[in-house]
Amino acid sequence: MGRFVRLSNRKRSNTLGLTVIYSLLSLGLIFMIFPYVWMILASFKIPAEIYQRFLPTQITLEHYQTIFSLGSTGSTQPFVKAIFNSLFVSSITTGSVVFFGAVTGYALARLSFPGKTFLNNLVLFQMLFPVVLFLIPRFLLILELGWINTYQGMMAPFMISAWAIFLFTQFFKTVPQVLIDAARIDGCSELRIIFKIILPLSKSVTMIIAIFTFMAMWDEFLWYLIVTKDYNLMPLSVLLGLYTRGEYSSYPGILTAGATLLTVPILALFFLFKKYFTEGITMSGIKG
Amino acid sequence: MHMVKGLIHGTQKRKFTELVGYGLVAPYVIYSIIFWVYPFLWGLIIAFKKWNIISPDKEFVGFDNFIKVIQDPLFWISFKNILFFMIVYIPLVIICSLSVALMLNRIKIFRSFFASGYLMSYVSAGVAYSIVFNLLFAGDGLINTWLGHVGITIPWFSDPKIAMASIAMIVVWKFMGYYGLIFLAGLQSIPNSLYESAEIDGASNWTQFWRITIPLLNPSFIIILVFAVMLSFNVFTEPYMITGGGPLDSTQTFVMQIYHQTFTALHAGYGSSFAILVAIISFTFVFVIRKMVERDISYG
Repeated sequence: MGRFVRLSNRKRSNTLGLTVIYSLLSLGLIFMIFPYVWMILASFKIPAEIYQRFLPTQITLEHYQTIFSLGSTGSTQPFVKAIFNSLFVSSITTGSVVFFGAVTGYALARLSFPGKTFLNNLVLFQMLFPVVLFLIPRFLLILELGWINTYQGMMAPFMISAWAIFLFTQFFKTVPQVLIDAARIDGCSELRIIFKIILPLSKSVTMIIAIFTFMAMWDEFLWYLIVTKDYNLMPLSVLLGLYTRGEYSSYPGILTAGATLLTVPILALFFLFKKYFTEGITMSGIKG
Repeated sequence: MHMVKGLIHGTQKRKFTELVGYGLVAPYVIYSIIFWVYPFLWGLIIAFKKWNIISPDKEFVGFDNFIKVIQDPLFWISFKNILFFMIVYIPLVIICSLSVALMLNRIKIFRSFFASGYLMSYVSAGVAYSIVFNLLFAGDGLINTWLGHVGITIPWFSDPKIAMASIAMIVVWKFMGYYGLIFLAGLQSIPNSLYESAEIDGASNWTQFWRITIPLLNPSFIIILVFAVMLSFNVFTEPYMITGGGPLDSTQTFVMQIYHQTFTALHAGYGSSFAILVAIISFTFVFVIRKMVERDISYG
């Protein structure tokens, strides 16, 4: 009897506990999402309502119109170009990081050759070194190559990633050798083995690398700031950053519209591939 | 005879796979030499030179640049600001993310809904969320309008005493979901049997938390602390966008100084030695924290 009472008491306190937990989590979630909601609403508000009102009384598209028509009297539209630049630079880099990551990772995981241990250590070493150490000399190198204000200049330091090689190497070690042997007997080249057999088996690690690389490139600010001077070549992050600090600093509507444009593509990517985001983070807590 | 032939064939085959291996790693090796080894060495060399990037002469000045950095008040101001950032950021982000993880670990329904909800802030671009918080927390912004109803306004980014703390807070917003997931993975790796036997021994929830949960989360703590420290030393976008280093240099950071010295003032040698010192300091921090916090955990 006593036991029964204790049990039902515990059950009641459990339900109570869960109610508290769900309430707290929901409250926290409101705080987490609030800046996004405010940003998107603000980008559609008339200027007078942006600061003081949360909900708009009327909707306007003027900020987006301004952004997309900026410079339209001349020949160039920096924001439209900036979106293209961001997409271009992020996509090419992502492709390259995945391609060379897979190729190098395969060699380091499945082939044996003298110097392999050294290369494995080099990969780890490169992952540990802080980027700040390379900022200046890489800029000087880009300067020397004449790549300031070029796409190559923006992408060069990110084309091959030690982090991607490391993840691929770890993952490729788990692929069964029989599959590779069978493919070799069938006369497959090594590149064919990598891209037709191993990569399809490593879908989640490939997706994780691709998504995180794309996001990091889209978000990158400092490097682009250093190597681009021409408004027509700037990725969205830098163009928006410079506009915010410059001529548009007192136009909150335009700024929030710009911030929305910078956020929405990655947010869409996030909702499409939520699974890989969570997997990628729990896998080890990769990338800071 | 047959065997010898087989052996030759074997070595040829081995030679061939070695060649294939070298072929596959060649792009990485060449790339590393050009964009990693070469800049690394060059960075070390120009740290000992006086050079303004434009002029061809690079005078060797020994340790002059390093001495100048150490004597530069802005180096120490930035250092102090970063320490202040860490003192606010690290405890706050750990409390928030651990709370979220503990709560997520207790629920079954809607767990992934909440997990991805809290992760949403992580994907926001630095420039975008800096713009948003700058407007939200502005002197006459929405937050102060709301606070005004209860009679307070807080000069979030314009009071030198709290500007860096405000920046730390918005970075907490960005990363708490991310760290929360790392903690959640750690929590899920703790075997349930430990809690069950503690329960039988009559240990309270509080005791269980401090005796089981916290010690066994050690690996997650290490990862998060290392990330948080590295992040603190690299803060750039938020102060660059929101405060520009002000008010009264209260949000100057190391990377802002390096950026300013090298790309505005064109002191490449000076910037390089600054960067080397920063790298050494951040490595030391990471090393010390690992030594202090890392515990060998074993259970069974």
